[in-house]
Amino acid sequence: MARAKAEQQTVASGSALIVGVGLTVAFLLFIAFLNVVKSGNLLSESNLLYAALIFYAGAGALYLGFGVTGIESYVRWASLATWAGLAANTGAVAHRWYEAGHPPFASIYEMLLSFVWTLAALTLFAEKKYRVKVIGTVTMPVAIVGVVLMQLLRTDVHPLVPALQSTWLHVHVTLAMLAYAACALSFALAMMFLIQDRIETETFLAATSLFTIGIYLGILTRFEKWGGLSVIAWNPEERSEIFLSRGVRLFVTIPDLGWLMVLALLVVGAPFVLYVLARARKQDGLMAIANRAVFVSILLQIIALASFVLRARSGQYASLDAEGLFATSLAASPFILSGLVGGIFASLLYLLLLWRRPDLERLLPSADNLDRITYKTICIAFPLLTLMIAAGAYWANRTWGSYWSWDPKETWAAITWLVYAGYLHMRITRGWRGRRAAYFAILGFAVVMFTFFGVTYLLPGLHAYA
Amino acid sequence: MELKGISRRVWRSLASIRTGVLLLIIVVIVAAAGTIILQRPATDADELQRAYAPQVLRILDAVGLTDVFHAWWFVLLLVLVSISIVSASIDRFPNAWRYFSRPYKYPDENFRKALPSHKQIPLSDEESGLVAAERALHSLGFKPERVVRSDHFSLFAEKNRISEMAVYVVHASLLLIFFGGIVDALWGWRGTMNLTKGEQLSMVEMQKGRSRSLPFAIRCDGAGQENYKDGSPRKWWSKLAVVQEGQEVERKEIVVNDPLVYKGVRFYQSSYGPNGKVDQLIVTAAAREARAGGEAKQLALSPNEPVRIDADTTVKLAEFIPDYVVRDGQVYTRSAEIGNPAAHLVVTSEKSGQSVQYWMPPIEGFAENEKSPFRFEAQDLKMGYFTGLQVSHEPGQWCVWSGVLLMGVGLTLVFYMSHVRFWVVPVRNEKGQLSLWMGGTANRNRDAFESHFEELTVRVAAELKDEKSSSATQEVTLAHK
Repeated sequence: MARAKAEQQTVASGSALIVGVGLTVAFLLFIAFLNVVKSGNLLSESNLLYAALIFYAGAGALYLGFGVTGIESYVRWASLATWAGLAANTGAVAHRWYEAGHPPFASIYEMLLSFVWTLAALTLFAEKKYRVKVIGTVTMPVAIVGVVLMQLLRTDVHPLVPALQSTWLHVHVTLAMLAYAACALSFALAMMFLIQDRIETETFLAATSLFTIGIYLGILTRFEKWGGLSVIAWNPEERSEIFLSRGVRLFVTIPDLGWLMVLALLVVGAPFVLYVLARARKQDGLMAIANRAVFVSILLQIIALASFVLRARSGQYASLDAEGLFATSLAASPFILSGLVGGIFASLLYLLLLWRRPDLERLLPSADNLDRITYKTICIAFPLLTLMIAAGAYWANRTWGSYWSWDPKETWAAITWLVYAGYLHMRITRGWRGRRAAYFAILGFAVVMFTFFGVTYLLPGLHAYA
Repeated sequence: MELKGISRRVWRSLASIRTGVLLLIIVVIVAAAGTIILQRPATDADELQRAYAPQVLRILDAVGLTDVFHAWWFVLLLVLVSISIVSASIDRFPNAWRYFSRPYKYPDENFRKALPSHKQIPLSDEESGLVAAERALHSLGFKPERVVRSDHFSLFAEKNRISEMAVYVVHASLLLIFFGGIVDALWGWRGTMNLTKGEQLSMVEMQKGRSRSLPFAIRCDGAGQENYKDGSPRKWWSKLAVVQEGQEVERKEIVVNDPLVYKGVRFYQSSYGPNGKVDQLIVTAAAREARAGGEAKQLALSPNEPVRIDADTTVKLAEFIPDYVVRDGQVYTRSAEIGNPAAHLVVTSEKSGQSVQYWMPPIEGFAENEKSPFRFEAQDLKMGYFTGLQVSHEPGQWCVWSGVLLMGVGLTLVFYMSHVRFWVVPVRNEKGQLSLWMGGTANRNRDAFESHFEELTVRVAAELKDEKSSSATQEVTLAHK
């Protein structure tokens, strides 16, 4: 009796989520519609992108909702929302293509646009072909982060500078987008494998905690200054960073944010410390505390993100290198932003694992199958990566007179290639299956993301436009 | 004996996957360090000094970490990787080659038992079973061959045997690419060449102030830039001609992405811009005394080329100062860009041989503008432009490209082809009952193979049934007769 009641309650809260997400999507679309009426332009690129964001976010919420409640109808709705998002995204790509007169591959904004499109398309493909119905739980948040980043980046259409006017650009970037999206898919599949393989949540907790520690350490070592956070100054009129001289950007300090980041680092580090202690002393009680610490860390990470967004979005701050106050913009610090969002995302994934339900396992193919599909996806990604590097080298040879110049992006592309080559060797000759292979696939995707974003924003080089 | 043991152990460890992966991990770490630490040729020395403390910089320089990708130990590392690939391939190749060159056509009993995918169908006679299997294999696109045993036949069919060799193709292609890269590192070079219209050069400027002379010369017959509406460059072009021993041997208009290649040397369009020198200054000259005609004359002045204004007077452009400033009784330029320009003309009378210094604008202390018989006014300025060419010679690149193509082939073989083998053997069990044993294996993509095998067994069973029913009808007709 009591059980039936509990089930009824889940069902009730289940439809509540669908209704909730549906209403939110409808509300956001309505707001967007009001904007459209005001500007008088229905199918502009930003509107389409906004619609895509709304649908992807709805899909992501429903997928996560399924992970928590285990109600299967969510997955159907989520899939529908993904289709709608893909349609809007396709419209945005087409609009961009038409407007610019070339395929959208010329700037990091355009690349993100294509990447998110490919990712959504591959998600639906994996859903249909491999019957991995809940893969969107992992890929949709990635797509959401992509679209949010796009809202912040420069969107104006630039004509192609002479070096980019080449068919090889299109070949190179198409291959890159396909390869990276395939890598993202293999990452999602590896995550699904770990869930299906009943990985101990403790191990995953430690990994998540280490990942977030890495993010905050990276932000602090690179940007912390005197308890504040030092970010690049922004010129709102020209929509560009302010340069002191050629290649030297002007940094301004947002006070107090640095302390907040230090606090966040301590809290995200706590679960890892507790995990190590629990391992060393074999006390399970500590793990329960560690799980609670994850909740606290998510709250604090959200606070950190919110205060960073609020204070860096607009505001005038002083600089150590020049007199006067300078404006800042989120667009000037995409690395911090994506790092903060990525940290929250990783912690949420852990929660998903913690609340894992048998329903989730039922909806997924068997662990063996997931393992095999992950391998297959990498078998597709690896030749694409190879061709991408080859096409890039050929193009560079026609443009700069040298097929390989050890530019950071090139070097990191080679590193990515080597990591996946390592995966294939370990798998084929050493028979690495299952967990170790899954960890390797996750590592590979981390390197891909660093090559895509990290190199562009953290390291200087020839690939300055992308 | 001892020595043999050691050399064998060295060989084993060189050829092991573990060593290979360890080397790759080291390469990855070092390469990543090379992208994070500022690198020498790309970064200015000043910037490096600003970024690192002197002691740190000294250590980085000593170890070679400021120019990782050209350090001797990095090259050594790549050579070690190559050796590891070669020895791993050599170590495994004989086995694979045996496998490849002498296909295993008749499965013995142990093999038949150990094979994961196999099936048996009861049979009335051997021949009909083999024929049915042959038909089924043909319909699946295989070409079965009959293997003759002492007392019976069996069937063997295979596809894509070449995929057993694929890994070696990939490894060979990687070595080709490395080899090309090493050839270029040793014998290749790159430099720049800046030309203005009409100029002819055979010297290439290399790094660190060195230069290199080519056995032929390059002449620029024109260069230009086309812009988008917003003013950003859309296209740079240069008309180049190759001149050898005074003879023009080749001609090409190059643009970015489309170089001129002559005798293995490639000329790339890399930049275009003002060279800070005046090509032509357009001025109007009006006589100071009205009786001389009054009409202003337009003149185009090129640097240091006297132009005749009337029967007696010539004028020449002696100096052009793009951004002038007067200090300590001298005229200097602050920069090469046009900010505050001044032109220095010299007006000479042939009869008297006297020259007058004419300055636009009249700079006090220098200008003798009042003494000049003509008044000049600047109308237009045409600056000289240079076209910047990147010059490179990469003798190893063909090796690299063929390696890339070979790798494409190899990867296709590795990932998209699997060596599928089927064996069909009529067997008798202890009771003497005849049955058709069918088995198969694939080296990759096993799930697809499973369904393939399933399909085969179904078809063989169907063929056998057909045969039985047709032979049954034959018997019926015979009985009827």
